[in-house]
Amino acid sequence: MMRDLHDHLKTRYRLGDLAERRANLAFVDVARADLRALLVELRDVHGFTHLSLLTAVDWIEEGRFQLTYLMNNRTANRSLGLRVFLDRADPVGDTIHDLWPTAATYQRELREMFGIAFPGSPRVDEEFILEGWTDMPPYRRDFDTLAYSQQTFSDREGRETHDPRAHMAKKLNPEGQR
Amino acid sequence: MGNLRDVLSPFTAWKHLIETPVTIRNPIGREAADGYRGFHQNDIEKCIGCGSCEVICQNAAIDMVPVSAPVDGDSGLRPKIDYGRCCWCALCVDVCMTGSLTMSNEYTWVDADPDAFRFIPGVDPKPWDDMEKGYRREGARVLTGAERVEMGELPPEARIDNFDEIVVGYTREQAMIEADRCVECGLCVATCPAHMDIPDYIAAIREGDYDLGLQILYETNPFSEVCGRVCTHKCETACAARHEGDPIAIRWLKRHIVDNVSEDRRLEIVGTPQALPTGRKVAIVGAGPAGLTAAYDLARQGHAVTVYEAQDKPGGMMRYGIPEYRLPYDALDRDIAVIAAQGVTIKTGVRIGREIAMDKLRGEFDAVVLSIGLHIGRSTRIPGTEGPGVEAAIDLLARITAGEEVPVPERVVVIGGGNVAMDIARSMARLQKRKHGAVGVTVTALEDFAHFLADREEIEESFDEGIEIVDARGPQEVVRYKSGKRKGAVKGLRTWAVTSIFDGQGRFAPQYDQGDERLHPADMVVEAIGQAADVSILGEDLTEALEWTRGRLAVDPAGRSSEPWLWAAGDAVHGPDVITAVADGHRVAASVGAMLMAMGEVAR
Repeated sequence: MMRDLHDHLKTRYRLGDLAERRANLAFVDVARADLRALLVELRDVHGFTHLSLLTAVDWIEEGRFQLTYLMNNRTANRSLGLRVFLDRADPVGDTIHDLWPTAATYQRELREMFGIAFPGSPRVDEEFILEGWTDMPPYRRDFDTLAYSQQTFSDREGRETHDPRAHMAKKLNPEGQR
Repeated sequence: MGNLRDVLSPFTAWKHLIETPVTIRNPIGREAADGYRGFHQNDIEKCIGCGSCEVICQNAAIDMVPVSAPVDGDSGLRPKIDYGRCCWCALCVDVCMTGSLTMSNEYTWVDADPDAFRFIPGVDPKPWDDMEKGYRREGARVLTGAERVEMGELPPEARIDNFDEIVVGYTREQAMIEADRCVECGLCVATCPAHMDIPDYIAAIREGDYDLGLQILYETNPFSEVCGRVCTHKCETACAARHEGDPIAIRWLKRHIVDNVSEDRRLEIVGTPQALPTGRKVAIVGAGPAGLTAAYDLARQGHAVTVYEAQDKPGGMMRYGIPEYRLPYDALDRDIAVIAAQGVTIKTGVRIGREIAMDKLRGEFDAVVLSIGLHIGRSTRIPGTEGPGVEAAIDLLARITAGEEVPVPERVVVIGGGNVAMDIARSMARLQKRKHGAVGVTVTALEDFAHFLADREEIEESFDEGIEIVDARGPQEVVRYKSGKRKGAVKGLRTWAVTSIFDGQGRFAPQYDQGDERLHPADMVVEAIGQAADVSILGEDLTEALEWTRGRLAVDPAGRSSEPWLWAAGDAVHGPDVITAVADGHRVAASVGAMLMAMGEVAR
């Protein structure tokens, strides 16, 4: 069924291969320029009326972000994920808040957590859950969570740790002999 | 219509005023969801103190603290968690190498003392220690691979009629995947007799920096190419990955590094001694792994080292004991070439005690290291072992290496269940296949398969090669033909079933079921039950002067004998394998070097 839909759509949209995860769940790559028209057709013609989620993946090695639009057809109990790729160096997505008002919230979250811009999306530049955040967007993979934690929060007094290897060498081989 | 609904909906909510509230007046004490991530639990018997939880923690909430004495494969450290920092993400549970660390679904706890929220789960008792509910990792660990990358091997039919090396070695891709499974906890380092920097050289593979990898290997082991093939890899029994999967293939990764550095590059990286010549001279008797390791260290300290070797080529048991299909001679030669390049003089074909007396060495050198190995095969001394057709495994292996003709009858029975027994059985099988077109080897061992001495892969590969292994059989007699044309020739080995090997005090005292007797037909019987050192080379006076312990030369922890000029190392005093001999060589070299330095100070 998903395959039929894919075959039907790929004549008019630039789509990648269909990746079927389950009988009722599949994903497909879409050219950014075709995204909006495809979302509208899926919503209005093919029954994918619900935007389940909009999220991102940081493919840092490939220098790009992936946006995933998970669409759900409630009647047919089917989900289709559309994947759009953005240049990581200049990450700008296209807002769809006019298609689903809830998208504005997702886009505000993505702006904050990944630093992906969605020009025109309502309140997109307002703080979402991070208050007073000045560091790199924390869901980017080059964000060093541990370093941030260590800089931001001080340790309680008296903390001391032991490296297993050095501890064993000291206890079992105190002479340091090879 | 939509607008009207918007106006009315706040009022429709009023109907809930008369319903029972869904909120809880006092949430303290309310149980969380079954899979909730609450306070940690740690099964401290299962925990090995590898510290992977500490490393993965993105909030630096975990310290590893001493709880018990370290032993092989367990650092004795346990995680202490600071709940002021913990964000309850459970990455520590997901990465845990043993599955010991879990989380209860308890999350409420009030205390005025902030330090109360730093404790060692499983050690500091808490009410939630035995709770069944909470976050558990589903199934085995997945953050680090559980399965070892399989090593390519020559199939049995391709290897049985030759001595070609069986193990193929990892490709770079395979090695990278295998190296990636290592969590670098370093529990293995203490278990390795030479304390090789295992996590560091595995990290070098991951970085693709083979030069660095080789450099790390040489810091602790000048026989890394040999050990990369035949090491008994005790490190792998201490590996954190073995608890929920296969241990890291440490031995194969070591070999992989050496395989990827050319011989010339090796010499460049290792270099030659940087120390100025000290003018001190050291003689080493025996060019095995202990002697040559000591030679390597002492030469790099600037001492003049001469190694005397009775055989035609250096290597000792690595060459004359270990068969070529496990350790090709050119691999051994490459390791030795680097040692020789340090200016070490290796005199082969010189038997100390015959061509040169120990006394002469004592006179000409500042120190003497005895590393003569165990080259005399022990005999069971059961009836019938005297006479033709009964051989010592160690002699046969040496003769095969030397290229001498050895007897290859159609049926051979081996007595013994250790690796030497497997080595001779598999070597004879190859020679039989060549000469007769068929394998006819039976190995009889005292131990049952559950307690076998030989490595598991040796047993499996022997089976693959068509060798028969009969476990729990005690040899009673080498039966010989009493009459006829073959009178006096070996007819077979008579054995009884073994019921127990050790007595109540743990002493060797095998008991047999005499009713279960078998005759294993054989034209030749090979004994592989252990070896002894040829201490006759010491001569009577020195033997008399030296201290002995249970027939072995007594040495102090540094390897020094009761004579101040004489040290001993390797199988002859410690055993039982190459890596232990390497460690011994380092130890002795350090002791000899310290003595020579002290001599230098006095002279000045």
